[in-house]
Amino acid sequence: MTALTGRADTRKSGAPKRRPHLSGLSWLVWRQHRTGFWTILAVTAIGIGLMAYWRAGMVDYLVGYGYPHLAPDEWQSGFEPFSKRLFDVGYYLGFLPILLGVFLGAPLIAGDLEAGTTQLVLGHSVSRTRWLAAKLTIAGLVVVVSTGALSLTFWYWWSPVSQQDGSLDWTSGKLFDVTGAVPVALALLTVVGGVAIGMLLRRTLIAMVATFGFAVLVQVIWSRFRLNLGTPVTFTSHNGVADGPPGLPAGAHQLGQGPSFLTDSGQVLPWQTCVEQSETAKAHLACLAAKHVDGWSMDYLPYSQMQGMQWLGSAILLVLTAAIIVFVFLWGRKRLV
Amino acid sequence: MADGTRVGNHAEGPAIEADGLGKRYRNGWALKDCSFRVPAGRICGLVGPNGAGKSTLMGMAANLLQPTAGSLRIFGDDSRTAAAARRTSFLAQHKPLFRRFTVHEILRMGRELNPGWNQRTAEDIIIAGRVPFTERINNLSGGQRTRVAAALALGKRPDLLILDEPMADLDPLVRQEMTQTIADDVAANGTTVLMSSHLLSELESVCDYLVVIAEGRLRLAGEVDELIAAHTVITGPRTDPGHAAELARHIVIEQSVQGDTVRAIARRTGTMPPHWNTTAPGPEELMMAYLRSPDSPALLTPSARAGSDVPGVAA
Repeated sequence: MTALTGRADTRKSGAPKRRPHLSGLSWLVWRQHRTGFWTILAVTAIGIGLMAYWRAGMVDYLVGYGYPHLAPDEWQSGFEPFSKRLFDVGYYLGFLPILLGVFLGAPLIAGDLEAGTTQLVLGHSVSRTRWLAAKLTIAGLVVVVSTGALSLTFWYWWSPVSQQDGSLDWTSGKLFDVTGAVPVALALLTVVGGVAIGMLLRRTLIAMVATFGFAVLVQVIWSRFRLNLGTPVTFTSHNGVADGPPGLPAGAHQLGQGPSFLTDSGQVLPWQTCVEQSETAKAHLACLAAKHVDGWSMDYLPYSQMQGMQWLGSAILLVLTAAIIVFVFLWGRKRLV
Repeated sequence: MADGTRVGNHAEGPAIEADGLGKRYRNGWALKDCSFRVPAGRICGLVGPNGAGKSTLMGMAANLLQPTAGSLRIFGDDSRTAAAARRTSFLAQHKPLFRRFTVHEILRMGRELNPGWNQRTAEDIIIAGRVPFTERINNLSGGQRTRVAAALALGKRPDLLILDEPMADLDPLVRQEMTQTIADDVAANGTTVLMSSHLLSELESVCDYLVVIAEGRLRLAGEVDELIAAHTVITGPRTDPGHAAELARHIVIEQSVQGDTVRAIARRTGTMPPHWNTTAPGPEELMMAYLRSPDSPALLTPSARAGSDVPGVAA
């Protein structure tokens, strides 16, 4: 300590204030993982810049069609390159939780256990609980800042057309999983899962491979149950079926394999009804008429449910994350060396 | 390291107190039912064959392992508490350091984490070895790394320094240099030291206290000179009929026959016949006898007995 004060004393009074700096355990955790943290933050900054740039290009195009008061349909003919880019970026952003889990979560504790540096830290007045808390907090903050900022920017990019274009289906993972709190929650779950896996396996490389498997599993299960987060709305009509199914509200995502038939008594018949008679439209209609079909029944998720579904799904993911964190502390407090 | 040169600043009782201490791993007990004390201010050698439980005992003292049975107190605090952890430094043969940190950053780590950190102590050790502060740990030699690890351990200003053969992988020159560095620091601060070694001669020259364990059990504990004083080496002709009977009155630790001569190391329980050829055993000889005879009863001097009220008073 004396050596430092000696140096500080030589500084002139009135010198610029020291910039805020990390101290104690936070300094150590940041220093140990700074390459990874800076990489994540730099990639985030580049991503934000690119998305802002692409959004500007998209808005330029839309302004030509009267944005923010877009006339329906007209603008969509030349919009394909823009929506493709949006979808592509959404697709790649979807890999972020997996990457963070494998390259940040898995080595976070496993690296120390493998190199023996756990002993080093524990030997210097740091308890296991404090050390785990510092590691998880700082890594968690970096994850939240990075995925949160990317999520917001992507939302900002998509928002001009989010309620306009039926070709951009909001239930797609490329949009649903990379906006709102979902990417943050998915990333936290995979990162914390990676930490737990690394703590149990104690070897960085094996932990990374196992975390990759875990992260992919999370994605698969999430994709499978994503739509179950919503409450389906049923649209019905009794205006006959000859003109084909009516259009759903803008942004509605139709559930099931197709529109079902509705009889005059309110019974719902599956879309395959009379499929054998469908060589000619006439025979098909006659068959349907014989079954008293006089309209359509369609289940769908309105766009208005998107944010509610995202919050509900994120809450579920965060509860799982919290459960894993509790496990990490309970296990680590006893067995971490 | 005579007692006179040491600054005794621990009036608080034993540095280490084990009571029924045991540690079980999946494949069995590594340490069982150990009860002993090491008074504060001692340089205590921990001796035993490979697998005797030395590293297990030291790991528990450094709060890296948790006891399965019994208790282990460091200056009165349970070894698992933060208070105990703050007062110990652990230096093992495997000296883990963050390999991408510079020497300067390693010392900063010590400063950031330890409330009682002494930067001067740590820097002096680095400077004495001419290790560049800006060099990364990765690029240092084994000896330099040991020096950095020692600087970190001593900069913490521990009251108990635990050394688990930290010099085993160093060449003799560096080894001697580092031993001296640590010995000087410890002497100046009255630090209690618990050190293990295979090299009994090394312990003999440095330690004034001894704990010997074998197969996870305590064999000997106490002041080196008192342990030696309690034993006698007796040599006599094998054919002497009274010899065996007389010897049986004492606790014979080990007995060997060479030609016509019987040589025994025994713990005296009374006076020896004056005509016998008796000598005092060397510390190494004594330890070896106890290690080779696992069935002989363990010996603890009064100051080493757990629960004794007057540590440091000779028998």
